[in-house]
Amino acid sequence: MNNVTSTKLADFSVAIDTSAGTTIALLSLGSVIAEVNYLEPMTHSERIGSAIQTVLTQGQVSPRAIAQVVVGRGPGPYTGLRVGLAAARFFAIGAKAELVGVCSLDAIAYSYYLANPDQSLPILVTTDARRKEVFWALYTGMSAGIPIRVEGPSVNKPDYLAEHLSGQEHVICDLPITASALGQVAYYQSLTDIGPSQDSSPIYLREPDAVPGKAKKVSG
Amino acid sequence: MTYVIREARATDLDAIMAIEVECFVNDAWSKENMQSELIASHTYYLVALVEDSVVGYAGSSQLEGATQADIQTIAVKPNQRGSGIGKALMVALTKEAKRRGAKEIFLEVRADNTVAQKLYKVFGFKQIGLRKQYYKPDGVDAFVMKTSLLPEVLEEPLVLGIETSCDETGIGIVRGNALLANVISSSMDLHARFGGVVPEVAARAHLEALLPVLEQALAEANVNLDDIDAIAVTNGPGLAGALMVGVGAAKALAVATGKPIYAVNHLVGHVGADILDQDKLTVPTIALLVSGGHTSLLLVRDLLNDVQLLGETIDDAAGEAFDKVARVLGLAYPGGPEIDKAAIGGNPSAIRFPRGLTLPKDMDEHRYDFSFSGLKTAVARHVELAESKGEDYLIADVAASFREAVVDVLVNKAIAACLDHGIHRLLLGGGVIANARLREVAIAKCAANGIELRIPPLSLCTDNGAMIAILGSQLVQAGYAPSTLDFSADSTLSVTTIQS
Repeated sequence: MNNVTSTKLADFSVAIDTSAGTTIALLSLGSVIAEVNYLEPMTHSERIGSAIQTVLTQGQVSPRAIAQVVVGRGPGPYTGLRVGLAAARFFAIGAKAELVGVCSLDAIAYSYYLANPDQSLPILVTTDARRKEVFWALYTGMSAGIPIRVEGPSVNKPDYLAEHLSGQEHVICDLPITASALGQVAYYQSLTDIGPSQDSSPIYLREPDAVPGKAKKVSG
Repeated sequence: MTYVIREARATDLDAIMAIEVECFVNDAWSKENMQSELIASHTYYLVALVEDSVVGYAGSSQLEGATQADIQTIAVKPNQRGSGIGKALMVALTKEAKRRGAKEIFLEVRADNTVAQKLYKVFGFKQIGLRKQYYKPDGVDAFVMKTSLLPEVLEEPLVLGIETSCDETGIGIVRGNALLANVISSSMDLHARFGGVVPEVAARAHLEALLPVLEQALAEANVNLDDIDAIAVTNGPGLAGALMVGVGAAKALAVATGKPIYAVNHLVGHVGADILDQDKLTVPTIALLVSGGHTSLLLVRDLLNDVQLLGETIDDAAGEAFDKVARVLGLAYPGGPEIDKAAIGGNPSAIRFPRGLTLPKDMDEHRYDFSFSGLKTAVARHVELAESKGEDYLIADVAASFREAVVDVLVNKAIAACLDHGIHRLLLGGGVIANARLREVAIAKCAANGIELRIPPLSLCTDNGAMIAILGSQLVQAGYAPSTLDFSADSTLSVTTIQS
């Protein structure tokens, strides 16, 4: 006898990340139904609407059926990152869905462990932070689908990072981020007592670089 | 120019045929064909009139009870093109088709007629087929185009407008032409220590403010998201990173709620703001928009179809000049109100600061353009010179004289635009309209020149979401198709692109 409850049926989530390119996934209880990935780093605001529409259409799921929106909080270049965060917040309120946030680097670590049998291998996840710096986080393994982050996210020059982590064994991981991995991390977090984080604030790691203004001299 | 659109009558036949022959030359319909089209019961023909003579026509065909309509023809006299008549005819046809139950509209267009194809794309038409050598005797192919983006024609649409082009996060809600909510969160205080708007600071503030501003706007309007008929959002011009926050949010909201989205021009929104105060916009009008980011002089013949840029600043915006001069004088940010305070009791003619782009040689090329960078430098030189000589200078005189120079140029150029174009109507918009001296001089000079002056309430002059909502509402009421979801945030969007 079919005894699936209605809440289970409604348990769809949309995962959104614009910390690098634009990646959107539709998941049902952690399994991926549809995913759209645009790698280019400049077209977030053009892509975001139709990308969300596309995964919903492919999955034949109405926005109202979405129970949870998972958003990548970065770190990542700010202008693009904000597009996903703004979209996730407004999609969640529009679809009356719960909004949860995941560190984008956790999704990259998840993808790495998913493809590797050794679940206790230390890895260093790095992404481009521009200005000759990297965003990074250090993981010691994955437990029940949740990467174990022991340091970071932080932003530093590669030289500093090499010195800071010298003497520690780890594999360097620079896989691309996918929204499917982001959604799966949130799903596994939701199986724990703590659950996924309600914090959807951006992880900037740097202050805006503007200096307080002073009137400039115009003559000798 | 004003035009009227009405249903075609049998007596319009000769006038229509004259245009038919002029526009379609080799493949014009015969008079008999045209006549049977006009009188058939399943067709709907319109004519556009300027001063009582027919300057354009358009017709569609739809069998009774059919869910498909065909646009049969559309033509506008060559000397009347470019002022929105074709668009207005299309709006009227699509509205009527929808009213008669159409779900899709088809048309054929010459493959070499890119102007018409561009017009059809505005209404969501996409090419679905090709008829080889359809147009005889020229042997030109026809594109078959179709739209299913039939506008929801609503008389009193409930529209939510999102504005994030500079340092104000604004969300407004209107019903038809009536203002229901206009909530603004400004990041101005965060920029104060930098002496001007810092784009990254503004963009961060937008992200934080959007959700609380939306919730407050919905509460003030006493509506919920399910009630909204359409979403409008500023997609330019403005700060790129700031615009993208609003665009990303608006698109996601549109997908989540299934509502149509209209990407609209910020500057045209400033013009539309007057509808919130007057229930209508009287056109044609000259519009002077003055803010920290823009100084633009526009000629508006039709809010949705015909907005022309007469001139703009070639360097600093007027508001920026106030901020920079305030810094020179050791005053706080934003500079406008500080300079107003400092100017109290000052003599506006004490120092003759330069009026940018007003010399005869400049007036040839830059009649309606502005330049404030030289003025700012002149003020700085004046102050530095006095300081280097150890002389005291009267800050009130400097502030008053500077302000007078700005106001002079703004108002004189706006008046000149009115008189040159024979348009005795001026509309002001933008945050610098808060400047009391600017309003005072504008009122006096408009009265002296017989120009009707419109100054909307200040809350509608500064950047706000209500002006974006009202512009969206006009598009919905006029039956315009929504924007497609892939529009971009365009920091230099031209004022002629009213909807993207």
